[in-house]
Amino acid sequence: MRRPAPATVRWGLLAAILLLWELVPATGIVPELFLPSLSKTLTVLVEDHQTYFAALLVTLYEVAFAMLIACGAGIVAGALVGGLTLLRNLLLPVFSSLYAVPIVILYPVFTAWFGVGSQSKIAFAGIYAFFPVMLSTAAGIRTIDPQFILAARSMGATLPQQITRVIIPASVPTVFTGLRLGGALTIIGVVVSEMLTSAAGIGYLVTLNRTILDSPRVFAAILMILVLAVAYYMLARAVERRMVVWQSAGRQQRAAARDSAAGVPAPAAA
Amino acid sequence: MQHVAHVTELHSRPGEAAIEVAHLSHAYASADGDVPALDDISMTVGVGRFVVIVGPSGCGKTSLLMMLAGLRAQREGTILCYGRPIRDPDPQRVGVIFQEASLFPWLTALDNIEFPLSLRGAPREDRRRRTAAMLTLVGLDGFGARYPHELSGGMKQRVSIARGLVQDPPVLLMDEPFAALDEQTRMTMGHELLRIWSATRKTVVFVTHSLTEAVYLADEVLVMSARPGRIIDRIEITLPRPRTYEMMATDVFGRLRDRIWQQIRKAS
Amino acid sequence: MSRTQIILTRLALLALVLGAWELLPRNGVINPLLLPPLGDVLTMLGELLGRPQVHDALATTAAEVLVAFLIAVPLGATIGVLIAENDYLGDIFKPILFYVFSVPKSIFLPMFILVFGIGFQQKVAYAAFTTTFVVLMSATAAVESVRADHVLVARSYGATRGQILWRVYVPSMMPILLETLRIAMIFNFTGVMIAEMYASRTGIGHLIASWGENFQMRQLFAGVILLATMAILFNEAVRFLEARCSTWRT
Repeated sequence: MRRPAPATVRWGLLAAILLLWELVPATGIVPELFLPSLSKTLTVLVEDHQTYFAALLVTLYEVAFAMLIACGAGIVAGALVGGLTLLRNLLLPVFSSLYAVPIVILYPVFTAWFGVGSQSKIAFAGIYAFFPVMLSTAAGIRTIDPQFILAARSMGATLPQQITRVIIPASVPTVFTGLRLGGALTIIGVVVSEMLTSAAGIGYLVTLNRTILDSPRVFAAILMILVLAVAYYMLARAVERRMVVWQSAGRQQRAAARDSAAGVPAPAAA
Repeated sequence: MQHVAHVTELHSRPGEAAIEVAHLSHAYASADGDVPALDDISMTVGVGRFVVIVGPSGCGKTSLLMMLAGLRAQREGTILCYGRPIRDPDPQRVGVIFQEASLFPWLTALDNIEFPLSLRGAPREDRRRRTAAMLTLVGLDGFGARYPHELSGGMKQRVSIARGLVQDPPVLLMDEPFAALDEQTRMTMGHELLRIWSATRKTVVFVTHSLTEAVYLADEVLVMSARPGRIIDRIEITLPRPRTYEMMATDVFGRLRDRIWQQIRKAS
Repeated sequence: MSRTQIILTRLALLALVLGAWELLPRNGVINPLLLPPLGDVLTMLGELLGRPQVHDALATTAAEVLVAFLIAVPLGATIGVLIAENDYLGDIFKPILFYVFSVPKSIFLPMFILVFGIGFQQKVAYAAFTTTFVVLMSATAAVESVRADHVLVARSYGATRGQILWRVYVPSMMPILLETLRIAMIFNFTGVMIAEMYASRTGIGHLIASWGENFQMRQLFAGVILLATMAILFNEAVRFLEARCSTWRT
């Protein structure tokens, strides 16, 4: 019997999980409290769709602004630190060391400063995502082939021309990786902070419903977050693929090197 | 806005060479003091000649080429191109082709060729015409819209050559441009290069490791010693032009190549 | 810039930051209620380190971190190696890993609380859960980093499977393994902190969260400095080991 294609197996696994989610609670093996059935979860989501939708908007708003901070500052800082030898030697090891600190311990500081509203979430998620984006961009800048600059110089390009006509176009893949990473991390940062101390947002709905032991509503919120995160990832990959269609085989190797060179094997711990 | 210079405007005065190098010396700074790289190199390249430089690894031939291109500054000595010194890259006098084509992967072949012109801000129509002409010259008609990752190694080098020629510099410097290609492609590209050269009558300084390539392509071969690099021999290649593959099997070819090899062995 | 110049510049920058932290709140430029002066924070830190309540919290957290680590590393490593060794499984599961890493794993915390209640087990389970994935991915990468041509050479000399494992795979993977442990610990620590801050009655993360809720800023910052220092020290120690062990790696 021929083995099914890996993609098929994945879809099969997804279907199996959804099926189990529906059937297992019904059989009573696992109490409804621990795992409400899929249909119950979806029903609740539809019933309360206004609440959930409003919460989603709050979360997206926070993610958008946090992304602005994290990616804006992160990419620029990463480009500077990665590109300028002096800054790189001076600062990069410092930033790599700081990465070891769980940023989440700073969150109470932000709630004390900014309150329970969106500001503290934006500040926290912005900083949470900043470091990995900066480290990734710094590593990515270094994968630009120095031969390009030599070729441009031999053709008489001035320094501004070297930057605008060579360095910036060559940095596009790195920037897109930074955006993808930044978005994923800000979603994580926002969700974590909303779960911890908040008055609004989907993460808040998770915590709220957990404390009143309303499992279907908890899982509805969890489901929503899952869909959001996966949707963002798929969107980011699709855009990345389109934008950098000229990636040759060599570049793909360098892209892989970039992802692992940042020392950030995965988006986040949360 | 500068217009693209043509070779007719950089007419050498009678007796003037395309390139004149006088007492060029260079050393690199290292932790243990200066490392001599080039030692009192003097050479003259006549207009329209095809000169090949060979030498053992590390002899400094690439450094020499970088200096001829204005990409690196020498410690001592002068380099004149058509009577004027070379200090910075001057793509209207000197075009450079590197070993790695270094085509910008985000531009098509045509855009890559046009790149040097777009730096100068020449009018669009002129640029398009010149670029298309170069594409045809290197034999890549129809491939202009391809991206570098869609081109073979040989094709990439052709684009690189077209890019080096697009500003019509009278002098072309080539640093082992075919080294990364397989042998069969090398032979084809060498032949192609000679065709382009005789069509454009540029002055070419070509660096290579390959003795066969040197004899096949050159009017004159300069042999360099190991570090610190010195010119230890000038060999006039007396084979008739246009060169053919069949010449590679002749005695004359073999003797010339052997002479070069002996010189390199003595100097290593 | 020479090495000493770099270190001196960094120290100068640090002094600048610390100096600002001390002076700006003291002079009222920054509201000292929001950001207590560094001196006060350090004094508080000294005091905290003497309190038995803090000792207990640190001990609890340390225990959670250790147990979770000891669960996650073998588990993740085993699964990771399996995925790397079996091409078919790898093709199926590797794309899934990328999705996994885009998802906030903290959303599963309520599930752990529902099953385990609030306590030691729940925090350890959650932290182990998050860390396993990182170890998994690194283990896969580590196995795949072993060069096929090295294995081929060993096989051509008749090495047995065991010999290939010990004489080729393990030395090749050693630098990555150390780095994996270091990064796993970062994720592990973060996981424990999140769990403690979210729903817990013990542990230093819980203390920090409650200090924050009660606007006890000096204690809060003291706690942050303490944890940050410990995290950085551990990280640098492992980095040092890594550097010693991987001199052959370019």
